Amino acid sequence: MLNWIGAAIILLSGGLAGLYQAQQFATRPRQIRELIQALQRLETEISYGFTPLPQALERIGKAMKDPLSSLLKCAADGMKPGQGWSVEESFAYALDSYWKQTSMKSAEREVVRQLSIVLGTSDRQDQMKHIALAASQLKHEEAAAREDQAKYEKMSKSLGLLISALIVILIF
Amino acid sequence: MNKRLLELFPDHLKSLLLRVPGPILERLEEIRIREGRPLEINYGGQFQFLKPCGGFTCVPDDAYKPAREDTLRLLDMISNHSLYTLEEELRKGFITIAGGHRVGLTGRTVLSGGKVEHLRDISGFNLRIAREVRGAADKLLPFLMDYKRKRVLHTLILSPPQHGKTTMLRDLARLISQGEPGSSSQSCRGLKVGIIDERSEIAGCIQGVPSFEVGPRTDILDGCPKAEGMMMMIRSMSPDVLIVDEIGRSEDAEAVYEALHAGISVIATAHGASLQDIKERQGLDMLIEKRMFERYAVLSRSSEGSLFRLHDGSHRTLQTSMAGGAVT
Repeated sequence: MLNWIGAAIILLSGGLAGLYQAQQFATRPRQIRELIQALQRLETEISYGFTPLPQALERIGKAMKDPLSSLLKCAADGMKPGQGWSVEESFAYALDSYWKQTSMKSAEREVVRQLSIVLGTSDRQDQMKHIALAASQLKHEEAAAREDQAKYEKMSKSLGLLISALIVILIF
Repeated sequence: MNKRLLELFPDHLKSLLLRVPGPILERLEEIRIREGRPLEINYGGQFQFLKPCGGFTCVPDDAYKPAREDTLRLLDMISNHSLYTLEEELRKGFITIAGGHRVGLTGRTVLSGGKVEHLRDISGFNLRIAREVRGAADKLLPFLMDYKRKRVLHTLILSPPQHGKTTMLRDLARLISQGEPGSSSQSCRGLKVGIIDERSEIAGCIQGVPSFEVGPRTDILDGCPKAEGMMMMIRSMSPDVLIVDEIGRSEDAEAVYEALHAGISVIATAHGASLQDIKERQGLDMLIEKRMFERYAVLSRSSEGSLFRLHDGSHRTLQTSMAGGAVT
């Protein structure tokens, strides 16, 4: 009896692990797309609205879903007077706090980090160029993430279950 | 000085400034930061360099010299992490920050068509601390009022820089706009005041809202060129009194001329130590010759505080060296 319960637990956890991995593959391109949209909104806020960076990030954060929403709001909070942080430091803190909650990988994180170094330090035209560059890099990552999704999403779902089945068979 | 102002500075500069004795901090007029050169403060007509361990020195080599990291961080803080919002300000060379204080900037200019388009490699900062002195114009105002006709006389205020022209103008705007309720012969209800604040100095507007008390019936055109602003104000806001700072060019004089003929009282200021200085200035001479102004107030500073000398439209002296309240 106990053997059966153990086998069921292994099968269940293996299946869930597979599902989780598959979900990561599905969420990553979606979150990269959201990040690109956030950058496009930031571009509008900077070029037409002349909105100061902390307010712009807060506004964009409000319109987005978690975890990107919390990440942007956290970065905006770090820039408030009294905190004394630069844009780069605020983003570094926000990335450390919230990046793990996203399904995105280190390549995307590096794009955001690089952008944070130049954000707010130059005139509008220059800012536009930097944001456009970051967005195009993210688009490449998005394309790669979609390929990964097509290749591995279904596979991870079944792989999780199959590996756990293999373990059960080996144990028996 | 407001301690919140120090929040703008990078930690190290802030700790140095916090070690400045309280009474001097209260009288602080300017904080000058030049990359690689001594950190300087100005107060009550004196200047001092700050030592790395706190305290003052007169020897430049002993003073703390702000590094590139300090100036970059300072620029980041005063621009609210958004230098792109300050393109116009960078063209003019100064930024107005919360509290109406002004930060003058120097660096390398980028030219376009022979005109300054942008400022980059910013390495010099001059934080001019703005002070609101309520009551600065208490003694002057009665001389500028025509209580019978309930109007303000056309006035030109003269003084060299840093003698309290803007402080005086700001307080005049507040008093005129507020009015003096009552039925005595020396009372007048508040008038509609329009301020053309080209350099955001009079009202210290942040996002269109004044940082200083400029009165309940006052409208402000912030950052607007004076000549154009006066016309805009006349057309759109029907002011009783127009207030402008530092007129000097001929187009400013023409706009003042127009306003005077539109039946609007004008209070303006100009740089100059005496009436004679102004008569010789091109642009303004026309206004003086035609006797457009009904009052001239010449401000000066003495050890006891600020003084003013008042002349009427024909340049006759009405009052001499009368204490004008504490003007700094």
